Amino acid sequence: MLMQTQTGSLLHQDHMATIESLQNLEEFLGRQRGAPVLDETVKAFLAALGGTLRQEVEKHFGFEENHLFPEFTRRGETGIVMMLTMEHRTILPLALRVADLADAAVAAGAFGEQDWRDFKDAGVELVEREIFHIQKEEMGLLAAISALVDGDTDVRLAQVYRETVG
Amino acid sequence: MVPGMLMMGAKDRLLPPSVPFRFFASAVVLHVAGWGAVLLGADTLPGFQGGLGPALAGLHLITLGVLGMTAMGAAFQMLPVATRRQLGPLWACRLTWWLYTPGVVVLSLGMGAEHVGAMHAGGWLTVAGLSLFGVLVGRNLLQVSDLPGVTRHAWIALASLLGLAVLGLLLVSDVGVGFLDRRGAVAAAHAVLAGYGFMGNLALGFSYVLVPMFVLSQGVPDAVGRQSATLSAVALVLAVAGLVLGQGMVAVAGGVVGLVAIGLHLRALLAVLESRMRKRLEPFFRLVRLAWILLPVSVVLGMAVAVGGAPELSAPLWGWLLVFGWLLTFVTGILQRIMPFLASMHSGGASGRPVLMSKLVAERPLAVHAVCHGAALALGVVGLMAGSVPVIRAAAALGLVGALAFALSAFLVLSRLIAQERAAQPSKA
Repeated sequence: MLMQTQTGSLLHQDHMATIESLQNLEEFLGRQRGAPVLDETVKAFLAALGGTLRQEVEKHFGFEENHLFPEFTRRGETGIVMMLTMEHRTILPLALRVADLADAAVAAGAFGEQDWRDFKDAGVELVEREIFHIQKEEMGLLAAISALVDGDTDVRLAQVYRETVG
Repeated sequence: MVPGMLMMGAKDRLLPPSVPFRFFASAVVLHVAGWGAVLLGADTLPGFQGGLGPALAGLHLITLGVLGMTAMGAAFQMLPVATRRQLGPLWACRLTWWLYTPGVVVLSLGMGAEHVGAMHAGGWLTVAGLSLFGVLVGRNLLQVSDLPGVTRHAWIALASLLGLAVLGLLLVSDVGVGFLDRRGAVAAAHAVLAGYGFMGNLALGFSYVLVPMFVLSQGVPDAVGRQSATLSAVALVLAVAGLVLGQGMVAVAGGVVGLVAIGLHLRALLAVLESRMRKRLEPFFRLVRLAWILLPVSVVLGMAVAVGGAPELSAPLWGWLLVFGWLLTFVTGILQRIMPFLASMHSGGASGRPVLMSKLVAERPLAVHAVCHGAALALGVVGLMAGSVPVIRAAAALGLVGALAFALSAFLVLSRLIAQERAAQPSKA
């Protein structure tokens, strides 16, 4: 994992936060035999999960697609952009689906049976796809940023990241 | 595997899956054949210090057929990705397989059947395949100035490959002629260069890329890779020179330096595991961790062989722990992870959604393989120490069952991939 760039370092921190959320989700799903009772702890977890997924996945992907990937495209590296963008197209709807189901369950005070099955299926798939995606970004994208992005562009991208993602 | 980089200049560097998978599939098949040959030659294993027959054939089916084959497939896929430089034309990668695979099969058959002509033909074909591999990898490494931790180990592996090929051809040519005065010492040097020099250094170098990626952790600092590579080179020179010149203590000094290199390597990888983001370690790490334990144990036994300590016991035990213990355990652990990984990477053409790895991996056959492999290793050690043919035979039988289970898991990866890809294709009206 190469993080000589500010942008790479910021993306890495975001990945760490996402991995932690995904692992919490994985452990939560693994503990449940059926639809869980939504006590205050579970509600707090689900509420945080919905917010975290939107923040980490939607904004993170938005930064990459709108600001970082164009730099790669300008340098002729379209392959990595195509691959990661296609994965975003698969992962983002899954993440939003999990977040929506979590929010709905918190609002209703319980999971319906079908909603719980959907939440579990989408959650399991999200964990696997997003972790595989992060593996690729950690080992490939961050190194590619180091190799392709010059110092001035790195500073500018990092500033944009702080403004748009937080 | 640095998948993101796979797509940087993808047309130049992303190999079609048929290239690495032909090597991996061959390794899986020869894994079964190797354990089968060991089973056939089990009665010669107590006190084994060389000699033609099924045991030697089994040893080479495992070393060349499984370890070398996997190393080639992995190197062809990984090096252009990790170094971001082209490796060579596709036809040359394919030609390597066409030379090497029949070479290994014919050489092993020749060893098993004690047929000198087959050994010569197989040996030369094998060396031709290895040479082409060496040229392709060398050309790639010449273009690389970064990644010194990985590339230095790869250079040592290539230098060792040259040495082991020369010594291997000498050993084959010596059969029935007897011009080598110290054939046992040359065979031991050949084994050191093959097990620690070629395969060992590829394993060490590639681990610096693969392990951090699998567990999502910080990479190993280049300085550590440079140090472990330098120490490995010194260790190999001392060990080989000591063995060939009959200076046991020099070889032992090489073993000590090698242990320091291994210590640095393992300490770095344990730090990688400590700082990992992914808490759950996948099942293949059971085998990788066992291999990490057996690597230094094999070096210590090798030092006993170097000073001539009870060779009828120490030599076969050393060979067992080096080849079946450290290397085969490590390689089957990595292979069971990278096959579904690559299959998933190459999937999704029709739908744009790569097949989930969890849909490809067959957990049960892999668990059977892990249990059988571990039991085979342990029983083999007991059998060799006790000089018991039935126990060694039981070990080989367990190894064979494990290899069959491993082959089933590999078959299921491919069949599930095909089924998933077909299911994802839009139906024709």
